[in-house]
Order: sequence, then structure tokens, then C-alpha cells
Amino acid sequence: MSDVNQMTAAESAATKAAVMNQIPGSEVEGQSPLHHADFETLAKQGAQIGGVHLREHKLLGHLTLRCNPSSADQLAAVERVLGVALPLAPLTSVEKGDYSIRWMSPDEWLILVPGLETFDIETAFRDEMPGHYSLVNSSGGSTVLELSGDNVVELLQKSTPVDLYITAFPIGKVVSTLFAKTTTTMRRLDENRFELVIRRSFADYVWLWIQDASLEYGLVVEAS
Amino acid sequence: MTQQNRLDSVGRIDRSKPLTFTYNGKKYTGYQGDTLASAMLANGIDVVARSFKYSRPRGIVAAGAEEPNAVLQLGATEATQVPNVRATQQELFDGLVSTSTNGWPSVDTDVMGMIGKIGGNMMPPGFYYKTFMFPESLWETYESMIRKAAGMGRAPKEIDPDTYDTMNQHCDVMVVGAGPAGLTAALTAARGGARVIIADEQNEFGGSLLNSAETLDGKPATEWVGSVVKELSSYDNVTMLPRSTVNGYHDHNFLTVHERRTDHLADIAPVNHVRQRMHRVRAKWVVLATGAHERPLVYANNDVPGCMISSAVSAYINRYGVVPGNDLVVMTTNDYGYQAAIDWADAGRNVVAIVDTRKHPEGTLVQAARERGISIMVGSGVIEVQGSKRVTSVSVAKLSDDGSQVVGSIVKLKADTVATSGGWSPVIHLSCHTGARPVWSDSVVGFLPGPTIQKQLTAGGMNGQYETSRVLEEGLSAGKQALGSLGLVAAEVTLPEVETLDITPPMSLFHIPHLKPTSQAPKQFVDYQTDVTAAGIEIACREGFEAIEHVKRYTAMGFGTDQGKLGNINGMAVAAKALNKSIPETGTTVFRPNYTPIAFGAVIGRHCGALFEPKRYTAMHKWHVEQGALFEDVGQWKRPWYFPKAGETMQQTLNRECLAVRNAVGILDASTLGKIDIQGKDAREFLGRVYSNAWAKLAVGKCRYGLMCGEDGMVFDDGVTACLGENHFVMTTTTGGAAHVYEWLELYHQTEWPELEVYFNTVTDHWSTATITGPNSRKLLEELTDFDVSNDNFRYMDWKQITVAGVPARVFRISFTGELSFEINVQANYGMAVWEKLIEAGEKYGLTPYGTETMHILRAEKGFIIAGQDTDGSVTPYDLGMGWCVSNQKPFSYIGKRGMNRSDCVRENRKQLVGLKTKDPKQVIPEGSAAILDPKAKMPIPIEGHISSSYWSEALGHSIAMGFIKGGLEKMGETVYYPMADGTMIEAEICSPIFFDPKGERQNV
Repeated sequence: MSDVNQMTAAESAATKAAVMNQIPGSEVEGQSPLHHADFETLAKQGAQIGGVHLREHKLLGHLTLRCNPSSADQLAAVERVLGVALPLAPLTSVEKGDYSIRWMSPDEWLILVPGLETFDIETAFRDEMPGHYSLVNSSGGSTVLELSGDNVVELLQKSTPVDLYITAFPIGKVVSTLFAKTTTTMRRLDENRFELVIRRSFADYVWLWIQDASLEYGLVVEAS
Repeated sequence: MTQQNRLDSVGRIDRSKPLTFTYNGKKYTGYQGDTLASAMLANGIDVVARSFKYSRPRGIVAAGAEEPNAVLQLGATEATQVPNVRATQQELFDGLVSTSTNGWPSVDTDVMGMIGKIGGNMMPPGFYYKTFMFPESLWETYESMIRKAAGMGRAPKEIDPDTYDTMNQHCDVMVVGAGPAGLTAALTAARGGARVIIADEQNEFGGSLLNSAETLDGKPATEWVGSVVKELSSYDNVTMLPRSTVNGYHDHNFLTVHERRTDHLADIAPVNHVRQRMHRVRAKWVVLATGAHERPLVYANNDVPGCMISSAVSAYINRYGVVPGNDLVVMTTNDYGYQAAIDWADAGRNVVAIVDTRKHPEGTLVQAARERGISIMVGSGVIEVQGSKRVTSVSVAKLSDDGSQVVGSIVKLKADTVATSGGWSPVIHLSCHTGARPVWSDSVVGFLPGPTIQKQLTAGGMNGQYETSRVLEEGLSAGKQALGSLGLVAAEVTLPEVETLDITPPMSLFHIPHLKPTSQAPKQFVDYQTDVTAAGIEIACREGFEAIEHVKRYTAMGFGTDQGKLGNINGMAVAAKALNKSIPETGTTVFRPNYTPIAFGAVIGRHCGALFEPKRYTAMHKWHVEQGALFEDVGQWKRPWYFPKAGETMQQTLNRECLAVRNAVGILDASTLGKIDIQGKDAREFLGRVYSNAWAKLAVGKCRYGLMCGEDGMVFDDGVTACLGENHFVMTTTTGGAAHVYEWLELYHQTEWPELEVYFNTVTDHWSTATITGPNSRKLLEELTDFDVSNDNFRYMDWKQITVAGVPARVFRISFTGELSFEINVQANYGMAVWEKLIEAGEKYGLTPYGTETMHILRAEKGFIIAGQDTDGSVTPYDLGMGWCVSNQKPFSYIGKRGMNRSDCVRENRKQLVGLKTKDPKQVIPEGSAAILDPKAKMPIPIEGHISSSYWSEALGHSIAMGFIKGGLEKMGETVYYPMADGTMIEAEICSPIFFDPKGERQNV
């Protein structure tokens, strides 16, 4: 068959994982999953006062790391690449500068970095990480929403079954949970400020849901 | 309008705020703070319904959730119609429009009397049971008549203009009921630092205290309520939910609480506000403080308007300043019944007599009645009342010591109101929801909540404690117990001083005897809403229905929207007597959610309309919309179905799109296909185990098609997987199967082969895929890339990492159309940019966007299957003629190997996928058509198979179809027939499913 592997062992080893810089030059404009909602215009022309504020952090680099949390070598490698250690306690997060890491499951973390740094970080991982792991660029597959305001907890109570009380959901806590009929990875940034990582294809549904659930409080869209 | 029954002072209504409402088209006035029921009683409205079966006039009996008769239809407009509203729970607002539901043409006219009597005779106990059982056809005849006569309210014919939503809540302690027990429990828990939610179905907190003239700490009880409410509302850790009924108590202390946020304001909620909200509460501990409902006594003609429960009489006087009549007779088996007479006398109206079934009542309340000079007739019962639309007189007689027989002569008393008290029934509904069986208590004369596995405490009336001092103590104790279980320390809570009452023990009596036997006496109602009488229950028992659940189903007792809150215990007592058993031996029926009826809207919340189901969109969706695409739902995805041009029929569009691909180039948004990134040194081995074909030797840079089977050997998904690196693959799945395949891989990895070093990640949303296909596709791609995409450098089934339109891309040279094809994958943020460049550059090559329908036709021309359309969970790869896609050389087995080698899977004559060519080339066989061999055969005709895919092929100029035929692969060239519903027959020849380019040359160019 034409698709049979003819490579030497050395050639094969050199192609263990395919990493590519997926970002074009600045002449090509990226469109976030909520591009069609035109938040820039809404921020200017929409309501300026309301109990819920919404902002999109678009075109960030989203990297999903899966590795072994009991491997000291791997943990050290992550720290060398990102300058910060993986959060090992369940449902926690760490942040350093523009980098933030969310615990997703016992062997999975979601790392957000500035979009243009994504490829460099991926490359650094490939150079540094020993052993069995996977690193997947999922930047195109999701976007980040920041929800804040006096009524943000109530809006989230309408949307997700998780307990949002400050002692049960302290600042920095991360959960992956239901959001209406889709899912989100949600992190508390402040008492009345949350970050939601949502999937691209569901972004319009989430946007519709937030508009509806905030009707009684008023929604302020902020420019990103 | 006069409110002839309204007192000048007293009550929690605001006489400075008159409200106008209509009942059956007539205008009345009430006050802010009224319920619809209290306003109706203030206006002297006696008849609020006609009974279900006998069409008897019915009046208001109770003052709360237990009301069986005053169940009204609300709504000023068609769209805002609400059925099943208990007038006793509906707060009055200005402009409220209500109508009675039971009664046609009106509750006040006796037109229904005649039909009602016929209906009554036609519907003996067990009517429903007998009708459903035999003969089935009769139900059709009865149904319309019963529905119209019974009039159980109606749903609106227009769309509900209101919105409803859901809110998730969590707490340490959920207190159900804000009466004295609930308030004390909540206060104790809140002071101890617990997160507390307290919900009550009424508009204000206080429960029974709102209805009484009682004092706490020497002041009106409502002052104490006010101070507790004020303190509770000052805590951040307390959520107070008035107008909120805890309607369901589910496993693991999950409760559903139905909050009516605007029902007290107007017919329709204010703009941007929800009418009702369902709170979904998850509580660590639950304190049930749901109180008790007073039981009416069962006596002859006890349904005549004016017959009420005595606690309701007190509630109307004390809370609403309404005395619902002039001349009162009280009948009671216990001391609490006296309160109604005391309140009535204090309101300045005439108490004719208190009839006590006991011989020697001596308690505090008895003394209080005596002090007021009220005549007390001991050892007696009201055996019958007279009157039709209102009580006119009552017959009182001496009873035997056990209350089972009339022993004395009858005294007739003139009265318009009869208040009865048979004691209290603890409101154990919520405790029953969790599966706890109620336990009978002789001392309480009622059922108490049974043992539970929930983290649940109970306090107050629901424990059979009716003295305020004891109720408060139980609330305190429940609050402390909850705190202790939570590891919190209780702070000091001082209970208010309450006058303690001397209580003479109640008499256990439910059914007041008549001079005549029950079967011949005037009707003695047990369950008002379903018109079940004591005689009816006796008949049920006589007919052999001995289990209480059977009695319930045979008589319909407790089947109404009130769930028999008033009548159930009395019914059980009547059944027990008829069966010569005790009540605990007879047992009780139990309750299910919801405690009171709720609007469907509140169940659905916001999951309706545009938010009913998420719609998933690709990065290019906006473009498709702008091009006028019609969309097809594939899973939750909206995929372009076809792109009609002005004036085109669907078939014309499909023909144009198909020819463009065959002759020039087409473009398809294939972003929705599932994509799973697979990394790890054992990725290759894993693929070999989950696909039926071989993966060991797939080279880096190459793609391969794979079939995925279940353990049973049946195909469930397929797709192309590419080797990106030695330890790195990307798998594609069907659009609808993506989530299942991902879970399937994780399941097998985590449970069966955890030793394999491999990780899976879904990247479906991350990549946008634009597929360009057709003879001109290479020319188009060449224009947008510097890479050499010639056939020598970029072979069929290769993938390349190149730049397309300035965007880094993974391009797969794979084909689902049989044409030269390139699937261009870019990060989805750049999907639209690349798509637009392709469209722009493609114009000169005749680039035509096409949708899923054309995709289906093109692949069918090539005989390519669609998993889920040409597979149905019962076909192996061999059945599909795809044995080439099974490798039995793999060292480790693969999922489905054993299954597809079972004797049934390898036998002769299995249904196999073949092509079908109609004799008349213009005829397209409908998908799903069944195949037969002999067109002249008589029924029943053996079915040889069915059509799974069928289309008109413009490129070939004839119809094409794929389908299953028994032993079809051995029957090439034979003829089969497809009978149509209209009696005609389509004749077709069995052929290869590859209709177009059978040698597969076009994709290799």
C-alpha cells in the first residue's frame, strides 16, 4: 500500500508530534467565535449601566496539557517552560503574568497564553517535556468570556448548578460544568467576576443565553 | 359594591387600597392583602363551583393549599389563561379576572342539575376503572361529556406571553414553611452561621400565626413574626423566599421550589421580569415545618356552601377581616375547633352552638367559649345539613359514646355556616416524596412522617404538635440539631412567652353517623374535588377492593388537583371501618410531587423558543446565511443543506451543485466532522484496537479510512485518520457521532487498556474545514499556495502542512465525492478568511458551494456509506461489502472481532448492502422502501431488505439507490420489487453500489 511507513527509525522519531504555527501574519484578521455579535459596537452603543457586564477575551492561545502529575521531571519541565508550576490541587488555578493554568482533571490542565506566544510555548514544551504527555492547541475551538457585576452570581445561578457561594467557590477556583445546555470551564477572578471558557460552536448559544438571563439586571457589553 | 361580610377593623388587609376584580363576569371589590377567596367571601359569594360528578353547588371550604372547591380559571386574555388556581392561594390584584371552571353554563343555574344527576347515576364508584377496562370504546362516548360537565379548567389556546426561569441554590439548612416552627428553626440556624434558605407558600411569613389572635410575649403574634423576619433579612447567609412552594423533595436533599414572583401583581409579568421561578435547591439539611391541615368531618350534605373547616373560619376573620356568614354552628371532636366559635363571637356575629362529639370537654378554649355564653352541645354531632346553595339549617343529634350511632332525637338549628374540626392532619407530603412511609399515631390521630434516609428534620405541626409553645420548642430544637450536624455552634435563642392551653384529648372520629345507613343517607362527602362519598368507599370495599391504593384508584379519592389533602384520612377511616380494620392496618396512600399544581412554564424554564436547544455554528455560518443556504440539523449543528438560487427548485439546485463538482469544482463546509487529536507512543496500537482495519504501518504524512465497530461487530462510526507524527494522529468521525466516539475511546482507554500510553483531545471546534472537490480543485488550490500540489508531490491519501491564502493549514487529499479533493483545515479563527479567499479565487473555475444533500448524492454515486444512514447497528463490515476494511492479522484483537464472527454474523443470506438500479431510470425509490422478490405474491409477503439511500443522479442521468438485500452480494443482476403505498411497484436490478467512476480514477489524477 502506498500509505505504508517507509521511514527509518531515526526519521520516524523526529516526527513524533506535529507542531505547527497556526497563526497567519497580521494581514489576515482572526475572527473569534463571537465575531458576528460585534461587541465593539455594542460596547459603544449598548447599555452603559447594568447588573451584569460582559467582555470577550478573544484570540488567546488555549493549550490543553495532559501529563503525569506524579512525574517530578514533567512538573519541572512545565515550570521551566511557563515559569509557574502546575496547580495539582483539584479545581484550582494559578496565574503568572499573561499565563494562567486551570486544573481540569487529575492529568489535564488548560493553559491560556497570549495568542502570538502559543507556537513558541508549544515548541518549548516539545523540547523540554520528557516522557508520555500530550499538548494540544485548541485556540480556535474556544473563547473566553468575562462576566462581572452586582448580579453576576444570580445570572450564573440561572445557568449552572455549581454552588457559587464565596466560601464554596473562592477566588481562583475552577470548575468544568454545565452552562445551560452546554458546558463551560469557569473560574472565579474576584467576588463578582468570573471567567468562562466556552466552546466555539456553542458561543452563540451562550451569548443568547446571557442576554436572556440578564434581562432583569441589565447587560453592559464591554469592548475586549 | 358592598362587602357585606367585611369587618371594619381586624386583619392584615389594607382598607385604604381597594382592588377591583371580576368573577364570572361580575365586578367586585376587595382590598390589598386579600386572597381571591377572602374577597369572594367578603362579597358574600357562596357558590364557586359545581361538583365534578354530581354537579352540586360548592363553596369555599378552606383558606390554604388544601382547598378542594375554589379552583378557578384566571386570566384577562386568552394568552394569560391559567387553570387550576386555588382562590385561597391567589393574592388579589386590581383587574384580576376569574371564572369558575366546574359548571356549565354557570355555577349558579341548575341547568346542569339534570345532566349532573344523569352523570352521577352513570358514574358509580369505579366508573373510571370499569370504563377503562370494558368496553374500551365507551370511553370515547363518555369523555367529551365528562370533560365538559366536570370542567377541570383549560389551557390557553395562545402562546404564554410570560417567561419562567430556573435558579440553582445551595444551602446548609433548607427550612420549609415559615410558621412558628420554621421561623424559629431558621433563626436558630442563621444565628449559628449556617447558610439558610426559608421558603413559604404564602405572601408573608408567619404561617398559622397570621390567622390567629394569639399573643407571644404579651403582644400580637405577628409582632414577633415581624421581628424574626427583620433579623433574618439582615443576614447575608439567609435567603428568604415568600410566595414559594416547596413542591418536590427529591433524593439527596434536592428540592424544587416554585416561586410566584409576579402572580400577585398582574395578569402578566412586568417587562423583563419572569413570572415564576423554579429554585433547584441542594441542601445539606432540610427542616420540614409544613404544619398541619385541619380535617373536616364527614356528615350528610357536608358539601353545601357554608360548610367549612373551623380553622379557615378563624383565618378569614383574623387575617382578612371577613366573617363568612351570620349564624355559625361548630362541630368538633377536639378543643381547637372551639377557636372558630370564639373568633366568630368576638367579631360580633351569632354562634348558634358548638356541637362537641365528646362528652366532657373541659379545656381552656372550652372555658373561653363558655365565658362568651356560647351554647355547647356535648356528646352530639351535626348529622345532616339542609340547604342547596347555602346552608339553611342543621340537624343535631346525640351520638353513642364511640360516635358510631345516632342515639337521641334530632334537634334542628337555623344556621348558614357550619365549621367542623375532626382534628389535624400533619402535612407529610414532602416527607412522602422521599419514599418515607407515614406512621399512624393514635395520640395525634393522624399520620406522622415516617423514618427517612434523607438528612431531614421535622418540627411543629407536621409532628402532630399544635400548641404554639411546643411548636416553637421543636423549631429551636431542629435548628440546633441541624447546626450540630453541620459542626456549627448554636447561638442563644430565647423563645417568646406563650400562654399554654389545657387541652382535653381529642376524640378519634371521622365519619358522623346518620339515622339511615350510609348507603341510604344523603351524600356524605369524603373527597370534594372528585365527588367521593363515604357510601362510595363502602361500595369499593364491598366489591373487594381492600388495599387502600385499590380503593383510591377505584373511587378516584385523592386523584384531584388537591391530592386529597382534606379527604384522604377520612377516606381511610371510612375504608378501615368498612373493612373492620384499624387505620394503620388499612394503611395510607402516599403523595408525589408536585405538592400543588404548577405552570408548565415553570418546569421548562428558559429552555424554550430560541433557547430550547443549543444551535452549533461553524466559523463560516454567516457566509452560508448570506448566500441564502437552507440548513439541515445534524446533531446540534446547523449545516448548509443546499444553496438555492432564485427560482430554483430543490432538485434543480442539487443537480446544479452535483454537476459543478463533477465538471468543475465545489466547496463544502466540513467543519462539523468530529476531530480527535491522539498523542502517545501507543496511539497507533490503540487505533488498531478500536478500528477494524490495520494501522500498524500507516506512514507519517498519510491518511487512512477506518471502520469502528461495537463489541457486537456492528459498524457504528467511520472516518479518516491521519498520521501526523509517529506518536501523533488526528481522527475524524461523523458529525453526529463525535461525542460518542470520543467517550468510546476514553472508556476503552480508562477501563480496558490503561497501560497504553495515549491521550485523546477533542479538536472538533478548533479546526475549520473547507473541502474543495472536482477536477478544477487543484488549479484553485495552486492559486492560493506556494506549495507544489501536483499529483507527484501531493498524492492521494497524503496530508501536507502548507500555507493556504496566507494561513497555515493542514490539507488532506482525501475524497468523499470520488473527485480530486483537498480538505483544507485551518484554525477556526481563520476559517472565514480562507473560505472567502477560496470563494473569490474560485469564481473563474466555477466554484460552487454545496450542502449536505449534494454531498449525500455525490458519495452515493460512489457507493460510500454514511454511518447512521446505511448502517443501523445491525450490519457488520462484511454486510456492507467492506471486508477489505477488516484485518484479522493484528497481533492484538480489535473491538468487534469476536462479535462479527458469531454464527449469526457469518451465516448465509444476511442482508447485504448493494446498489439498486431502477428499470425506469426516472423513478427514485423512496428511502425506507421494502424489497420483495415476487410482485404477485399474496400477503404476508416476505421482505428481502430495504432502501437506505436513494437519489436522482444528474451526472448519470438516472436514479441511484443503495439498500440491503438478503444475500445481495450473490444476487447481482437479479430483479427485486418495491411496493409503494399507492399500489404501484418499482422494479429494480441489484448491482454494484459504485455507480460512478467504478475504477476510482478521478480522485487519483
